[in-house]
Amino acid sequence: MAEAIYIEHSVVADDYLAAGAASNNIKETLKMLGITSSICRRAAIITYEAEMNLVIHGGGGKITANISEGSVEIKTIDHGPGIPDVELAIKEGYTTAGDRAREMGFGAGMGLPNIKRNADEFVIESEVGKGTTLRTVIRF
Amino acid sequence: MAHSLRISYSACHGCVNCIKSCPTEALRVIDGSITIIKDLCVDCGECMRACDRKALGLDDDDWDLIRAHGMVEALPDPTFFAQFGSFWLPDLAKKALGSWGVDLLIDEMETAFDLSAYASSRIIKNLSQEQLPLISVYCPAVVRLIQLQFPELLSRLLPIENPLDIAAELWRKRTKSYAPVTLFTPCPAKITLIRDPLGREPSALQHAVSLRKVVHTLMASGVKVTASQEARLRHMWRFAAWSMRGGESKHVSCFAGRDITVLAVSGLRNTIDLLQQVELGRLKGVDFVECRTCDLGCVGGVAVPESRFLLNVRNRNIDIDWTLTPQKEEELAALYAVEKTWKMRDAIPSKQRVPLSNDLSEAMSRMKQMKAIFAELPHIDCGACGRPSCMAMSEDIVREQGEITDCIFKLREGIVSLANQIVSLADLQPHTIKKKR
Repeated sequence: MAEAIYIEHSVVADDYLAAGAASNNIKETLKMLGITSSICRRAAIITYEAEMNLVIHGGGGKITANISEGSVEIKTIDHGPGIPDVELAIKEGYTTAGDRAREMGFGAGMGLPNIKRNADEFVIESEVGKGTTLRTVIRF
Repeated sequence: MAHSLRISYSACHGCVNCIKSCPTEALRVIDGSITIIKDLCVDCGECMRACDRKALGLDDDDWDLIRAHGMVEALPDPTFFAQFGSFWLPDLAKKALGSWGVDLLIDEMETAFDLSAYASSRIIKNLSQEQLPLISVYCPAVVRLIQLQFPELLSRLLPIENPLDIAAELWRKRTKSYAPVTLFTPCPAKITLIRDPLGREPSALQHAVSLRKVVHTLMASGVKVTASQEARLRHMWRFAAWSMRGGESKHVSCFAGRDITVLAVSGLRNTIDLLQQVELGRLKGVDFVECRTCDLGCVGGVAVPESRFLLNVRNRNIDIDWTLTPQKEEELAALYAVEKTWKMRDAIPSKQRVPLSNDLSEAMSRMKQMKAIFAELPHIDCGACGRPSCMAMSEDIVREQGEITDCIFKLREGIVSLANQIVSLADLQPHTIKKKR
């Protein structure tokens, strides 16, 4: 059993231009390991949406990927405002994104539902005023 | 896999300009000159643009040899007609070139490009929002880029043949001729379309000669290029618009008969950005995507002699009638009904980079090694090791295709430590020699 591969990216709040870097890195790493392209794509989508959530809502944070032989686990941690109603947030079309984000084509309320759809495991924990952690797993 | 780049080893000085320009990191400088990793090259031609010494050229067919065999059946790329000062109406060009021993297959081209746009619009109309956008297959470099870097988007390629292939096929069907068909090509990618086709085997075309070569010999031949208005009425020459970014999109949306949302980009960086967004599912509501790796579209191809900016202006000034008349629609519908005239024959397989190992556990431990090697490198991507980046260098090392000392900084570190060792050895003295005070 090989030792897991760990990737970590810091995400800065409101930095729309840099968004996508973590997603690309994780996708390329998985590709180089010979993981099927459909899984690479799912991981890229999850990472991208999670990254955008940190940029738009979370006030920045950390995104990590842990690749082991059977799965990839993608996590985000932020110390932003938190989500008052998680059930509502994972409904398609629900959004609290500000005008700035929407002007740039983000914040359509598809982020979390999209992450959930692409993940085999999806756990979100949030506390208002403290922040949000998201944990997803894709199995190979 | 055949490629359409020719390396002049006498002109190559081993500088690293080209390796930095390659979007797929397919170039290395080994033993003082360029090497192409064939599996990674998409024939976009970026390296030719980056080379100041003209060490990289187009590997096209011999135009004199082709002409020596009598009448040349030729498909002029849509970029051809604006090369001569103003837009040369295709039927006038055909007439003039007849006496020069070249037969331009413009009627077939007109039908083929119309058919391609018609088929695209029909296919798009029959798909649901989740299955869209579809991606144009006109630029062969884009198709190869998708095959290599965006394999998940292969299913998004329009399942139609390149209109250049369709045109040659239509001509062959009409004339029953076995004569070879020659393409006047604006880029290396369209040569590879012929030599190593994707989605069909073999290509309907046989030869490709660079547009630059053809235009130069034609200008030297004394053939008169005349502009006239008379032929304008009979034909539409919609294919001329395909030489610019957005021409195909315009054609497809005009033939769709309802509003469809199209996106057209040109240039390598824009192409890669756009494909990334399609892959991430960010382009909801878009029906059709047109990407061209050359700036401004095919007019920006490396084998195009005239200024791409001028060509763009000239092409934009042609008065094109985009309406699909009932007679034309009937003609196209009849061709569309026979799938084999336009449908891509075989699915295009993905061609992913070879993983670090076929065994995941082994690949993971090599990835660890790779990261450790990378951490030691200077991260300035200078290219002096002959590779495009420090990351590519560390990958080559774990693939056993390089040594850490290929890095000039690591080599220097090695020399410094060796020199220090020599100094400390020099300080050691046998007892018979008196120590310096």
